[in-house]
Amino acid sequence: MIESALAGLVLILQWKALAFMLLGILLGFWVGLLPGLGGVTTLALMLPFIYAMKPHEAMAFLLGMHSVVATTGDITSVLFGIPGESTTAAIILDGHSMAKKGQAGRALGAALSSSLLGALVGALALALAIPVVRPLVLAFGSPELFMLAIVGLAFIASLSGQGARGMVRGFIAGGLGLLLATVGQDPQAGVARFTFGTLYLWQGLDIVAVLVGIFAVPEILDLVVRGSSIAGDAPVGQVRKGVLEGVKDTFHHFGLAIRCSLIGTFIGITPGLGGPVAQWMAYGHAVQSARTPEERKGFGRGDVRGVIGPGAASNSKEGGSLIPTIAFGVPGSASMAVILGGFFLMGLVPGPDMLTKNLPITYSMVWTIVLANIITVIACLIFLNRLASLTNVPGTLLVPVILVLIFIGAYTANNQYGDLIVMLVCGAIGWLMVVAGWPRAPFVLGLVLGKIAENYLYISVARYHASWLTRPIVLALFAIAVVVICYPIWQARRTRRSEHA
Amino acid sequence: MHNKASLALGILVMIVSASGLISAWGWPAKAALFPLVICVPLFFLAAAEVLWALFGAEAASASDFKLSEHLPQSVALRRTGIAAAWILGFFFGILLLGFLVAVPVFVLAYLKIQGGRGWVFSAVFTAVVWAFFYGLFDLLLHLPFPAGVLLSWTGLR
Repeated sequence: MIESALAGLVLILQWKALAFMLLGILLGFWVGLLPGLGGVTTLALMLPFIYAMKPHEAMAFLLGMHSVVATTGDITSVLFGIPGESTTAAIILDGHSMAKKGQAGRALGAALSSSLLGALVGALALALAIPVVRPLVLAFGSPELFMLAIVGLAFIASLSGQGARGMVRGFIAGGLGLLLATVGQDPQAGVARFTFGTLYLWQGLDIVAVLVGIFAVPEILDLVVRGSSIAGDAPVGQVRKGVLEGVKDTFHHFGLAIRCSLIGTFIGITPGLGGPVAQWMAYGHAVQSARTPEERKGFGRGDVRGVIGPGAASNSKEGGSLIPTIAFGVPGSASMAVILGGFFLMGLVPGPDMLTKNLPITYSMVWTIVLANIITVIACLIFLNRLASLTNVPGTLLVPVILVLIFIGAYTANNQYGDLIVMLVCGAIGWLMVVAGWPRAPFVLGLVLGKIAENYLYISVARYHASWLTRPIVLALFAIAVVVICYPIWQARRTRRSEHA
Repeated sequence: MHNKASLALGILVMIVSASGLISAWGWPAKAALFPLVICVPLFFLAAAEVLWALFGAEAASASDFKLSEHLPQSVALRRTGIAAAWILGFFFGILLLGFLVAVPVFVLAYLKIQGGRGWVFSAVFTAVVWAFFYGLFDLLLHLPFPAGVLLSWTGLR
């Protein structure tokens, strides 16, 4: 095993493989930064270019690009409140709030260092888990995966609002997201649901258009209302400082970063759940780490733990999602499906061969994730101060540029004007939710989980009828969901009692 | 404002979930199962929120960002209206003129009217934004940006 790991490192350090990896990193860097360009689309666009490469060079190129997209996507999310990628939206809640308080440097430092930590944990999990992951993946059938989706939603819905009313609002937002996920052609019976006779809605609502609307539009409106820069009156010097402080924060909350990395890895391993779920689950866990309801109120308003959690999870899931892709040929996400296409183009067959004959190539992928993330984080840290000072640029200059980017970002999702309308409608809903004090996180998670949850629920009912509810892992996950819902209520009561005493 | 918005959202969700229920009733069981499972609790939760907004006193806030509160409400609402008008204006500009024309027109107009910048600065800034947009998305990535309705009608593109 160690020999194969070293052979993998030697493969990746060959000049051609290294050059292709650096090229991939460069492309991934910009793809992550620009909201209009999706990581999956770019991966697909790059597939034709790998024909002339050797397998380890092709994987270095594709994985090098893919590994850094989430990292640099965090930068756009923190600085401008626009999700650079659909997998980097959760970081906006606290990251952009920190930027508005003049702590952009600190938020970026925390995001990047936690991303690196997450990537290392994910890569380590990939290296260690391949021989032992099979029973874990096989233990999760459709009923368990459905319950896992429900636990995720319960997590975020119960934790994103304060008090009983806040929790109800969280569940309404989550339910609304789940309901909107049913728009489009139903996969089981082929019925067009909630399409209002339009062909555009048959394919459902695009997550990018919804995310851009729900997060970016309220931020833009607020930026115009304030009439200042993103960082407000915070002096330039203060904004630029704090990168090191953010890095220190990650190590101060090391346990949280590791736990969120493991959440991301686990979600990555589980086929079908995908990156957006990983970061929201991690965000939910970060909120849960607050010891008191008062402390929890700080989340969404610039708590650095709300940056560290999703930052770590969004990158650790990459290593995790490679595990089922390599071991069973089951891609854990859309981007892994494209990378699986790359495997076949190179003549690599996922399965036992990747763990025996081609083990050095498998390890070269682990090394690519590690090296690509280290290189990206170092490059980002060098330019971070300059990037952070963008939050001092006057709003009147930023608003037109950001608006151009969000309109292009929404339009390029499907190249349809319908996406612009979806973005504007979701923008209005997002603004109304912010005004009303409704959490937006459960809405987005509901939308992301909706299709997955529906498929698993249908398969569970069709295959097991009602008996799926009595499966041991389902019962355990149900118990976790109940605890997750009841814990904040119990915590609030305990605090009230101790205040009265 | 806070409670009124929550009331409006609650009523909106009640209407959406009720119409979802009515629509799903006519579908085959396979297609109706999931919407029905969601719409029933969603309707009652939204009804609870509406009652809370009408009669309840308990305050609630979300772990989410809050809009700036340092300005008087009337000023904030007026500025929000202006910002919304710019966003809608840009959207209709794209529909009528297409991205390639609407982007520079919008950036220049925003800088001049809303930003109060000089002509030279506005023109240079607009040129840089347009060159970036055109160079990356059109020349390099060949993304299909259709001509606007107005340009198509007049036969200019």
